[in-house]
Amino acid sequence: MSTSIGAISLTSRLTTGLLNRPVWFLWLVLLLCFWVAAWAGAVPVTADDWRVLWRQDEPLTSGAYVLWHLRLPRTLFAALVGAALGLSGALTQGLFRNPLADPGLLGVTSGAACAAALTIVVLAGSGMDIPVAWRFWILPLAAFAGAVGVCLLLDTVARWLTADSIAGLLLTGIALNALAAAIIGLCTYLATDEQLRSLTFWTLGSLAGGSWPLVAVLSLLLLTAIWYVWRLVGAMNALALGEAAAAHVGIHVRHLRRRVIILVALLCGFSVAWCGVIGFIGLVAPHIVRLIVGPDQRRLVPLAMLVGAIILLVADTTARIVAIPAEIPVGIFTALLGAPFFLALLTSVRKSG
Amino acid sequence: MSHAQQDTHILSLDRVTVTLGQRTFGPFSFVIQPGERIAVLGPSGAGKSTLLKLLARELVPLSGQAIFCQQPLKDWALPDLSRRRAILPQSHEVAFGLPVDLVIGLGRVARMHDPSLASIVRQAAEQACAAHLLGRRFDTLSGGEKARVQMARVFAQLWDVEQGLLLVDEPLAALDPGLQFSLMEAIYTFAANRGHAILAILHDINQALQGFERLIFIKHGAMVGDYHTPHVTLPLLEALYNVNLAAAVTEDGEMIVAPSLKRKAVA
Repeated sequence: MSTSIGAISLTSRLTTGLLNRPVWFLWLVLLLCFWVAAWAGAVPVTADDWRVLWRQDEPLTSGAYVLWHLRLPRTLFAALVGAALGLSGALTQGLFRNPLADPGLLGVTSGAACAAALTIVVLAGSGMDIPVAWRFWILPLAAFAGAVGVCLLLDTVARWLTADSIAGLLLTGIALNALAAAIIGLCTYLATDEQLRSLTFWTLGSLAGGSWPLVAVLSLLLLTAIWYVWRLVGAMNALALGEAAAAHVGIHVRHLRRRVIILVALLCGFSVAWCGVIGFIGLVAPHIVRLIVGPDQRRLVPLAMLVGAIILLVADTTARIVAIPAEIPVGIFTALLGAPFFLALLTSVRKSG
Repeated sequence: MSHAQQDTHILSLDRVTVTLGQRTFGPFSFVIQPGERIAVLGPSGAGKSTLLKLLARELVPLSGQAIFCQQPLKDWALPDLSRRRAILPQSHEVAFGLPVDLVIGLGRVARMHDPSLASIVRQAAEQACAAHLLGRRFDTLSGGEKARVQMARVFAQLWDVEQGLLLVDEPLAALDPGLQFSLMEAIYTFAANRGHAILAILHDINQALQGFERLIFIKHGAMVGDYHTPHVTLPLLEALYNVNLAAAVTEDGEMIVAPSLKRKAVA
């Protein structure tokens, strides 16, 4: 009974969430970005290459090969990672009741990168023979563990040091960031040349690893996260009242915190494991959405995913085509595009307010 | 008779003690009946807010028993509890500048399926003199307006139930007297229509004497008195606050109390 009621309110919330005009507009923008991203790149793609993709009997042209094996999975991957980062940013801000909270600023991302770096250097240095099939999962798992660790530290240390203080939270984040940076630095110092290349990848961020299996795994992860988040967004609105008042209106605050933390750690951990550190999206995407539709989590969360996907897709496409045939790490671009845009937003808010 | 009366309790505390930090508070023993209006009085730091936190289940009793609607308070599931008791907090801040409608609706967030939400939000806002604030952002409101919206949220929470409990933590102290009066009236009307009991922490002795039928005195972390308002005398109040009080009686026979500057000889 209660599940069918839940399903009804779920679908009605989904439809009301998706049928509003900013949503249509953002979907259109995303499709446009897909279109541009698929056409643009070092290898030119013609309409003929697209046609070949649908034909089983014809051999793949080189353009079609690039399209199918490189460009399409990478574009989809970029959008999915962007959505995951936007979602984790929206959740973090809601959880800490603070529009400045961001997995990057709070050290969650660098915690994940730190664990990944340790895995690369220490595990590889120990000479253990790891089967290739496992390698695919060991880094994500380590990154996830690092992200969870930082989240739990944030939750306990910041709360214990300075109860309910935004400054205390951000300061704890800064300390954790510094700690993670030091450990990553130590790993860099100890790393061999080959390990150093992988480490650079983590700290700068790149979507070059995008492939169909990764797209499939990330889609599954994201779908699970969305399904899970839909049941939490109403309660997350109540968190804005403060934790005591949220409990008074019937929310299990501790359960909610734990769930959101695990979700944020999963999303950050996996995206860091596969793409390295890509900053700013978790901060900027929810901000943009809040300016468009306001702070209601029920609308903020899905739109933050959409905006995150758009930003990362634009950034990645730019990173690919701006210096053909070389490729600039996308993490540099999200910051290059994100920071000025964010400043512009702040000034426009100031003017209108 | 006494058994039947026991079944109608909204809440009963039986020698309940609670710790907060290094201090132990209590024992508290009293019973709240449906529709009662109880004010908790006492000097600052005496433990009034601690008592409220205990009743709100923010603190767990160290010893003794707290029963809410025939069931130990600690056994209530939070969503069920939120349908029977609401708390009007002292501070009114809400993060992110949520719209007023949403803030009021959050009173009912624990209900999975709530088809009448929109109409209840509107009616609750009207009852709390906040209807004109619907559609605005919470963080653009003044202190008095925020208090009204929080009150509407609490009204929405207990809108369609009866014989609930409304805990009020001195939410109006910072407001002007006229607004205080009309908001207290709104609370009385709301609770009376539904048989909700009110337990309010108050600093204003006169508000307590005029609006509440029962007064609980708290001092040095313990309960020192539980009186029907007509039985409260000036010396009792003086002993509670360690201050000399002067009283005047209005034309309607209501007692008005004010601290007296004249020093009385200490007995």
